[in-house]
Amino acid sequence: MTDASLSTLPPALANPRKPARFALARRTIITPILLSLLILAVAIVTVMTGSRPFNQAMIDIMVRVVLVVGLYIFIGNSGVLSFGHIGFTCLGAYAAAWLTINPLMKKTSLPGLPSFLLEARLPYWQSAIIAALFAGLAALIFGKVLMRLSGIAASIATFAVLAMINTIYSNWESVTGATSSVVGIPIVRVIWPYVGAAIVAIFIAWGHAISRSGLALRAARDEPTAAAASGVDIPKERLIAFAISGVIMGLGGAATAHSIGVVTPDTFYLGLTFITLAMLVVGGMSSLSGAVIGVLLLSALIQALRWLEAGVPLGSTTFALPKGLQEIALGVIMIVILALRPAGLIGNREITLFRVNRNK
Amino acid sequence: MAHLSADNISVAFAGLKALSSVTLDIRPGQISGLIGPNGAGKTTLVNVLTGFQMPTEGSVNLDGKPLTNLKPHQVRRLGIARTFQGGRLFRDLAVIDNLEVTGVGLGMSRRAAVAEAEAMLDWIGISALGGRAAGTLPYTDERRVAIGRALMGRPAFILLDEPAAGMSAQEATDLSSLVKRIARDLGCGVLIIEHNVGLVLGLCDHIVVLDSGAVIEEGTPTEIRQSEKVRHAYMGTAADTALPVAEVLL
Repeated sequence: MTDASLSTLPPALANPRKPARFALARRTIITPILLSLLILAVAIVTVMTGSRPFNQAMIDIMVRVVLVVGLYIFIGNSGVLSFGHIGFTCLGAYAAAWLTINPLMKKTSLPGLPSFLLEARLPYWQSAIIAALFAGLAALIFGKVLMRLSGIAASIATFAVLAMINTIYSNWESVTGATSSVVGIPIVRVIWPYVGAAIVAIFIAWGHAISRSGLALRAARDEPTAAAASGVDIPKERLIAFAISGVIMGLGGAATAHSIGVVTPDTFYLGLTFITLAMLVVGGMSSLSGAVIGVLLLSALIQALRWLEAGVPLGSTTFALPKGLQEIALGVIMIVILALRPAGLIGNREITLFRVNRNK
Repeated sequence: MAHLSADNISVAFAGLKALSSVTLDIRPGQISGLIGPNGAGKTTLVNVLTGFQMPTEGSVNLDGKPLTNLKPHQVRRLGIARTFQGGRLFRDLAVIDNLEVTGVGLGMSRRAAVAEAEAMLDWIGISALGGRAAGTLPYTDERRVAIGRALMGRPAFILLDEPAAGMSAQEATDLSSLVKRIARDLGCGVLIIEHNVGLVLGLCDHIVVLDSGAVIEEGTPTEIRQSEKVRHAYMGTAADTALPVAEVLL
């Protein structure tokens, strides 16, 4: 900006030496690779056991990895807590349903759909892509307004988005079936598409984190005033992250729809919001590794508690925990972790081969 | 030649006048000082110049074009940088990333930003700190990193808000020579707010004295030293700052 000829500018500053191309990507790519390998390992073990209930449980975990990584992209980098993201999951799930249910069924159950949706019958992977983009577009539109807010006002406004989406989907009878279940979504029982979705989500999150936008957003998370004074357009950077995370939440919604074959608006409301946020917070809100590890640990814990609630035979008697203990235990664990490690189990770091790295 | 000016700036907070009709010029390569007792409105003026505070009256102009309605990040992109009292580093980021943020904020690629950040740390003489987490730095290093962060993209103007607060005499001298290099080698126009009046008198080409939101005197260090008004303002209104100032002035 200053006319260089007027000053005796040091040559190193006038023409600094750039690092090698993709140096940052090469230095940090080990994290998404390791996380993908972890997920692949879980999937391989699942397939080797050959157990159907176990396979379904692991598919649920893969879907949650997608959702929690989607949350991380926005919440982790911006530091703005969002209660609205499961709304975009709802949009993705219903979009996937609209695009894949047999047209004959749709004409009776969802007669209000526009004709191009009524006639559509896409393979699940195509519907998942469209569902993800649809949710991302919705996030872009909502975000345009929301991202001007900050702090608690932004969080409350995101909650309003969730409530709004839930209300619309619970009442628009001819398009969403209102509160009754939308059935007939083709169920995909193989684990690999879900593994693929989780890995795609992880790599997108990593790519965003090391991008210019990701760096600027983390700076704004630490010190918004100083970030603005550094030339960072905070609402714009937040909006980029919000839209990308909206895409991933939509992908997670499509995955949910195809994993259980049924959607209702209440599947995508407070319960799922709480559990996914808990997983993110427990693992480490500002770490991609934390997001993935939080899902794996808490899912394992939930599964164990479910078995204990169902009852475990101990000799001649059956030992069972009271029903509802699962939710209580989850709440207690969240509080304990927040008290002992406020930044989550992984904190502000990422796993790598040789050591734990600071976030880039 | 670039020229940053505050013209007849007034700011009122809920009826209370923080600044009244303040006019100030900053020119490339020149070091200007802004002094005055606590509560004189010095930081408010910097906030107005950088888009953080809308003036109630008056305008900020860069080369004659008004900046008054621009947001802070837009003002920074036009080449007007600032630091804050107390550093305000991005504590969770590494030092090098703190500088890189300004680079990407100004539209550079991360590659270009990291290259300039490294060169800048080296130029300031703190390249050894690059990999440290900014939150772990001692006070004086924090200040120097904040200056480096503001200098990324080589702004035409830099406004330093109490950069020497809490520094020892030796550290303040080192800071003075850094500020001189910023003006001379980078051609940057500097505005420095400081309580250490000795440092300002020794460093600046031009000094403006604010008291209760109004300019009571301006001129060269020699003129300020001899001003009765300045002496009166410091002696009369702020007992805590009176002593060091009196030592320099008398």
